Amino acid sequence: MTLKAAITALVAAKVRPFTIVLGAVVVLGLIDGGSGYFFSVGTLFSVMQLFATLGLVALGLGLSMLVREFDLSVAGIFSLAGCIAVMTGATNPWLGAALGVAAGVMSGLIQGVIMTQLNLSSVGVTLGGLLTLQGMTYVLSGNQTVSYPNMAVALGLNAPFAHLFSIRSAVALAVFVLAALAMAFTHIGRDVIATGSDRRASRTAGLNTDRVLIAVFIASGALSALAGVLLSYSLGAASPVGLSDVLAPAAAAAIVGGVSVVGGRGSPAGIAAGVLTLCILRSGLSAIGVPPYVHDLVTGAILLFIAVLDAPELARHITAWRLDRAERRAQALARNSI
Amino acid sequence: MTELALVTRFEKHRARVRHAALWVRLAAAAAIAAFALTTPGFLTPLSLNALFTAISFVGCVAVGMTFITLTGNIMSLALGATVSASALMFLATLSFGIIPAFLLTVLFAVIITGLQGFLVGHFRANPILVSIAALSLLLGGAAFVTGGHRIYPAGEGLAMFKGRIAGIPKEALCFFATVLAGQFILSWTRVGRLMSMVGSNFRAATAAGIDAAMIITAAYVIAGACAAVSGVLLAARYGSGDMELGAGYDYTAIAAVLVGGTGISGGSGSTLRTLVGVTVIAIIEVVLLLRGFSEQLQYLITGLIVLAVIMLHAAGEKR
Repeated sequence: MTLKAAITALVAAKVRPFTIVLGAVVVLGLIDGGSGYFFSVGTLFSVMQLFATLGLVALGLGLSMLVREFDLSVAGIFSLAGCIAVMTGATNPWLGAALGVAAGVMSGLIQGVIMTQLNLSSVGVTLGGLLTLQGMTYVLSGNQTVSYPNMAVALGLNAPFAHLFSIRSAVALAVFVLAALAMAFTHIGRDVIATGSDRRASRTAGLNTDRVLIAVFIASGALSALAGVLLSYSLGAASPVGLSDVLAPAAAAAIVGGVSVVGGRGSPAGIAAGVLTLCILRSGLSAIGVPPYVHDLVTGAILLFIAVLDAPELARHITAWRLDRAERRAQALARNSI
Repeated sequence: MTELALVTRFEKHRARVRHAALWVRLAAAAAIAAFALTTPGFLTPLSLNALFTAISFVGCVAVGMTFITLTGNIMSLALGATVSASALMFLATLSFGIIPAFLLTVLFAVIITGLQGFLVGHFRANPILVSIAALSLLLGGAAFVTGGHRIYPAGEGLAMFKGRIAGIPKEALCFFATVLAGQFILSWTRVGRLMSMVGSNFRAATAAGIDAAMIITAAYVIAGACAAVSGVLLAARYGSGDMELGAGYDYTAIAAVLVGGTGISGGSGSTLRTLVGVTVIAIIEVVLLLRGFSEQLQYLITGLIVLAVIMLHAAGEKR
């Protein structure tokens, strides 16, 4: 029974993201079998680089899922902010970064106000937002790759320090720590969770849920913008296409990280674990030399597993099946005893 | 004031809001029509044919997406990849002949999408998450099977999908047939009519003794079939294929569904509305093209109009 209790504790909603990360590390370590490709500084560094790109977008999207919305526009802001930064930040990278993040803040603010004032669902509004932001990126970039002349910034952002981190991944980590602290120790976390769990009750209790919602979308826009800025700077280029494949992995990371799609459940630490899982799978699998498609298959399988595991009706189906079996067994016993 | 008078006033107010929304919609439609008709070159056969062909590929996907949205499952992020995979399947099985290849392709897409519907319907798994998982599995599976190479037709007969009947491109005819078949299912079959009920309130439908899980699975099966049709048309059009063929169709399709006026929360919608949505988006794109807007500006303006139309619909349907 203790084993069962341990397993129950490990898959409990709050612990599960960390269990999955550990599981991924152990499995990849076992496959690697001590050949040292997986447990190497290089692999860890590349995990952290991937984390820097995906993590902030997943955090933004995850925050919107916490309040029971879904911010599709993160992919659009990601590309647009990258473009803005590259085009305006050639001489002063800080200016470009500030403008890029400001664009994210504006887009989140506008969409949040539209949603709360017109009482609209986020999927529709942010879908329109996504298409509009993509259009703006196309217009700004003239539909071609814009290169960033300031290579010193690119090299500086990606230069390793302490073997594992670059400035880029350190920034991402720092943002995660800040978000976790804000969610744990200020009223922000409580407000966000309350809004996501039961919006009407929160409003009745005197919480200005509209303001929480707008703030969450501003945060989501700013975080995705920051991720886009950092990636474009470090690639030394921005392009309207290619960057847009970020939405599905970000959503996957948030959900693996324990954010519930029905709102009110999840934490920045969990999201970080979810992002780490995806990044470890991607660079870990390529480090031990399996072809790239295996990564897609494994990620898909994990997501499918979580989807079914979290499905509300699964427990009912299993219980029904168990009762059925028990009944049949009882009948068989009764027959035998006669 | 008595309670009854209050209720009457409230209902009058609601009717007025609904009226206003209707007028705004009509005005918007008139504006788009005027904009299109005054554009030189819009009414030429060449541009109309281009318009019809352009809407047919993503249009089929949008019809399929309508069923997913209508049954309360928001959207699928995997339909675009299903389109690409169907195109590859069709090209690879062409050696058996056109009809067997077509049937195999439909079967393939129906199984893939139907399985997702089964998980969503029976276990109430989250539809967006399931679709992301399916997207990953499809991309990985396709890369494994094709080795990342382009797929070329394994047989003859692609030409039968090209050309026109009565001046209308065959692709467009396929699309219109898909729309009509979808509307037939929604309006005239038992399963179809139950779909909007399941979409508006899953629990109530279950309580009323409806096999809601089966209805949702059926909606996904239809969505898969529509994606297969789109994939076959794309394969025939381009003569070869890879997983990029249908990439991004998910977003265009859900945009068309919403522009047509199908509610994102499920329970109300039709494939005819989706036809309107697809057409509106296509007309805007063609008009912008004919008026000499750059491709980039076309993207931007289309995005803004989609955003505006979605806001318009939702404001009109507000309680």
